[in-house]
Amino acid sequence: MRVAVVGKGGSGKTTTSAIVARTMARHGATVVALDCDSNPNLGLSLGVGDFETERLESMRESLDEGGEEHAPGWDDLIARFGSDAPDGVRLAVVSRIDNPSPG
Amino acid sequence: MRLAFVGKGGVGKSAIAGTFCRALARQGHPVLAIDSDPLPGLAFSLGLTISDAPLPDEAIEDKPEGEEGPRYRLRAGLTAADAIDQYAATAPDGVRFLQFGKHRGSTGRGLFRSQFAFRQILRELPEDRWNIVGDLPGGTRQPFTGWGDYARLILIVVEPTAKSMLTARRLSRLALDEEHPRQIVAVVNKAREAGDVKTVEERTGLEVVGAVPWDVAFAEAEEKMAAPIDLAPGSAAVKAVESLVEQLSAERIS
Repeated sequence: MRVAVVGKGGSGKTTTSAIVARTMARHGATVVALDCDSNPNLGLSLGVGDFETERLESMRESLDEGGEEHAPGWDDLIARFGSDAPDGVRLAVVSRIDNPSPG
Repeated sequence: MRLAFVGKGGVGKSAIAGTFCRALARQGHPVLAIDSDPLPGLAFSLGLTISDAPLPDEAIEDKPEGEEGPRYRLRAGLTAADAIDQYAATAPDGVRFLQFGKHRGSTGRGLFRSQFAFRQILRELPEDRWNIVGDLPGGTRQPFTGWGDYARLILIVVEPTAKSMLTARRLSRLALDEEHPRQIVAVVNKAREAGDVKTVEERTGLEVVGAVPWDVAFAEAEEKMAAPIDLAPGSAAVKAVESLVEQLSAERIS
């Protein structure tokens, strides 16, 4: 199953996503929680804590810095750049905005 | 003053910004309220019933071949002040309102053109004549990729919740920019407990210049798509925003 949660800011997307992810994991599913927000807070709602949520590098950033010759597959990306959340949910951050740049 | 409200989605930027603009205008200052969110929401909080007030295409022209500068600009002869006079909506208390444009899911060509003119207006509008108060989109994507460059004061609206405070820490880092020196402070919204201001100060590292209490009148105004200052003029939240206006005007932060 592949689920995407969307909606207005502050309406509860992140909280909803986290509860859905953990509930599915508790029912035995293998769950990857992907934070696709440029302001990624999903770690907080999944329960990995403030420090880990801020520490977690985005996969894009890691790839940009890594100088990889070939992009690794999804499994590899999730394993290398993800973080373990409660109930066995694996959390990964897709893209985070870290530097202001002229737009 | 030239300031921008930023913060996590849903923290109450529009309600505070709209109330701030109206209160500042009541002090007799010319105010330009700007909404640079492609999913705009400031108009209602100002007391306007429109939700879409973009710059018309006739205000924008292509850069002539061979000339330097951005691809699109205000049409020849139209100054930033003229553009406000002619195209900005007028909200109660004389607040002028300009919107970047509303995302319609089309090709986005209109928005692409208008963003150049919108940002040109913010750069070129005479500082001594106009106060500019911006309501920027929630989150970290837009504010510091050029859209907040006009602002000398960044007001990060923060709820005393973990996600909002983490977002505020990120925004305060992103707002640091040697090319655009500006003051970065926090406004607490939905404060419920005496310790909320201290919590926000400790966990964001920001100076808190104002605290707006949790107030059901603010939420009701949102529901009714009305301006809090019209719907609940005496409410604690509106009073707190009015105090913030008085304080910032007195400090002459600009």
